[in-house]
Amino acid sequence: MNRSTLLRGLGLAVLLAVAVATPFLLDPRGYAIRVVCLALLFAAMAQCWNIVAGLANQVSLGHAAFFGIGAYTSTLLLIHFGLSPWLGMLVGAVLGGIAAFLISLPTMRLKGHYFALATLAFGEVMRVIANSWSGLTGGPVGISVPFAPPSFAMMQFKETRPYYWLMLAALVVVTLVFVAIRRSKLGYRLRAIKENADAAEVIGVDTTRTKITAAVISGMLTACLGTLYAQFQFFFDPDTVFGVASISVRMAMIAIVGGIGTAAGPILGAFFVIPLEEFANDLFSSRAAGLSQLVFGVLLIGVILIEPRGFMALGSRIRRLFGKGGRP
Amino acid sequence: MAVLQAILDGLMIGGVYAVISIGLTLVFGVMGIVNFAQAEFLMLGMFVAYYAWAWLGLDPLLAAPLAFGVVFLLGAAIQRVLIRRVLKAPEVAQIFLTVGMLIVLENAALLMFGSGFKSVSTPYQTSSLQLGPLFISVPYLAAFAMSVASGLALFLFMRASWFGRAMRATAQDPMAAKLMGIDSDRMHMLAFALGVGLTAFGGAVILPYLTVSPTVGAQFVVLMFTVVVLGGLGSVAGAVVGGLAVGIIQSLSALAFPIQLQNLVLFLVFIAVLALRPKGLLGGAR
Amino acid sequence: MSQPLLQVSDISKRFGGLRALSGVSLTVAAGEIVGLIGPNGAGKTTLFSTLVGLHRPDSGAIRLNGKDLVGLKPHRIAAAGMVKTFQNVALFLDFSVLDNVLTGGLLHLSVTEARDLARRCLEQVGIAGIADKLARDLSFPERARVEVARALCTQPKVLLLDEAMAALNHVEMDAFIALLRQLRGEGLTLVIVEHHMRAIMSLCDRIVVLNFGQLIATGTPAEVSRDPAVIQAYLGSSAA
Repeated sequence: MNRSTLLRGLGLAVLLAVAVATPFLLDPRGYAIRVVCLALLFAAMAQCWNIVAGLANQVSLGHAAFFGIGAYTSTLLLIHFGLSPWLGMLVGAVLGGIAAFLISLPTMRLKGHYFALATLAFGEVMRVIANSWSGLTGGPVGISVPFAPPSFAMMQFKETRPYYWLMLAALVVVTLVFVAIRRSKLGYRLRAIKENADAAEVIGVDTTRTKITAAVISGMLTACLGTLYAQFQFFFDPDTVFGVASISVRMAMIAIVGGIGTAAGPILGAFFVIPLEEFANDLFSSRAAGLSQLVFGVLLIGVILIEPRGFMALGSRIRRLFGKGGRP
Repeated sequence: MAVLQAILDGLMIGGVYAVISIGLTLVFGVMGIVNFAQAEFLMLGMFVAYYAWAWLGLDPLLAAPLAFGVVFLLGAAIQRVLIRRVLKAPEVAQIFLTVGMLIVLENAALLMFGSGFKSVSTPYQTSSLQLGPLFISVPYLAAFAMSVASGLALFLFMRASWFGRAMRATAQDPMAAKLMGIDSDRMHMLAFALGVGLTAFGGAVILPYLTVSPTVGAQFVVLMFTVVVLGGLGSVAGAVVGGLAVGIIQSLSALAFPIQLQNLVLFLVFIAVLALRPKGLLGGAR
Repeated sequence: MSQPLLQVSDISKRFGGLRALSGVSLTVAAGEIVGLIGPNGAGKTTLFSTLVGLHRPDSGAIRLNGKDLVGLKPHRIAAAGMVKTFQNVALFLDFSVLDNVLTGGLLHLSVTEARDLARRCLEQVGIAGIADKLARDLSFPERARVEVARALCTQPKVLLLDEAMAALNHVEMDAFIALLRQLRGEGLTLVIVEHHMRAIMSLCDRIVVLNFGQLIATGTPAEVSRDPAVIQAYLGSSAA
């Protein structure tokens, strides 16, 4: 028991060291490192979604709302007040948390399909607002992050490598938060709600408060990642950061492909889905728009039909198969 | 007078909304699945009607039964190959299977039909009838009439035919239906095929006044859900009331708000209804 | 005489046209074991669900240690000290046995403390050996015991058991009865719904009889078993 914990810790340390060193193996101005950056970011996003959907089974289709709030808040504060994106990120997190709280109030009693529908509509509300309130957001044409002299304080860098470490750090932080929640009172309570909400209430779980707490944490973290995205891409529009397919569904899909409710799932999922998508884009986009999205959709359907609990479950299924096959 | 005109327009459009949403509510009623891809079948119906017009010179209103037939078969196949396999799966799987279908259908259409906007031209496209001080646009009226006709046909089918009664029995009590020798697999297939077929039918009849593109479904997703949630998920009669209500809300809010904000009004109504009356305005008080 | 621990006064509950409970009053003193019996559909489970806040009564009062519980959510009532088990056993199926019980302990304790208490509760109920099993893999009698342990882990004053002995054989039932006696000895107050008359008769200080949502008799086991209204209710229902 102790030994396996030690081995696992060692394995994680090696993995982290490799992850930190990876940029030195990649062309700093190349395309590959950008793809890896996006994969790290999307892994972190999927992990945020995992907090509510994976632990409490509150399947959100509207997490783009928080992501977009984060992206727009820090960028607008930077444009109008020259505020450092780090501080903008904090403001965005607060607003993201407030948004999560507000949408939680009317949707907390909803389950399953109904919850998914309500959150979907909430994400769309935010997208419509961002598109039509041009005075604030610049409207459908999008918005650019103003260039500043590259510095850590302004979260802008000449090369892609620092962005990589930024994204990696974000992923590590969000994953640690996820693991800490899962082991805490909050995590037990969330999982109890997923299993049987009535029974959880009767033995003392405040289901409403528990769900709202998780939603607010998830919304705040997602908003922070929106800021990172804005600083990384330098340009975005409402349909990208508030998009159903581009953000909300993709976050969910990555977690599902990897293994919903597990800490490693979103990471596995992101490093499978994002490179595959980019690869498909690269290969086909000049000839046929839509093909990479088609691949994305087929993949989602395939995973759901073959193993709705994702790679993690598939892995343990295979291991069991081998374990059984090995014995006489 | 503008208000009366808006209500009339809203009713005309709402009739179509009702028919395209009946399919969604039918599938939920019989199988307990919310089909997030439903609006894509509307898009497919529009394309079938468009090509029937472009290649065969068929008026979209006449091509509507064709759109129904084609999508009916496609729906039966999808039910057989995909939906059937998640009926007992966790809700997450059900939700994301249909979300995956949405993505696949939209992008397959993009590959096949290109991203451009396509529209038909008909002799009655711009004509309208005068009714005292009010005007009724002919394409609206035609679409409304076709919708009412298809709605009535469905009603008769559900009431009078053995299949319809068996389907309702399956929705109400799957176990009892099974004991009575009703093949629930076949009923599910019929329900899904009928559901998406009807939506495609609705797509064809609105083609005279709307342009079609692979992404047209996105405009209708939340709208259709608003309709069915207003009327109560699973209730066909509710979808009719919901459709008319949404049509009227939409055209009334057009008087007050710019185009993008009309959708906002709809979304807010949707979230409010979900929060306050998740079983629908007609549903029980729970 | 001191005030009763649990005082239910004149509560009624309707579901649509159905009167599930009408004007039910009862009191339970600290340390008592009270049996709640009645034919199927008499309202026993509805009464339990109403007591713990899953249903809100249309009228009447529920007081625990003098504190009014009507309108409180179930988790607040659990915090006040009243917990029930479910008739068809509602475990968290993908949790281990230990985690099931531990979750009850989180009401008043940290995760670590709750884990210690959970182990003690499992031992108390006699199932420490299956702590690491998944709830899904348990037999029905095991599940019922885990649910009792989970309820105990919330450190209740009053425990409402809804047919917790339904699937037990004679040997298991005797052990369970001994367990409940022991718990009472440690200060717990129990209200139990049970169909096994042998268990009810040997265990309860007092029995309350419900029929069609109304209280028709209350008294010691001996008194109740001679009550003509009770005999009528049972014979009537079995003849129907």
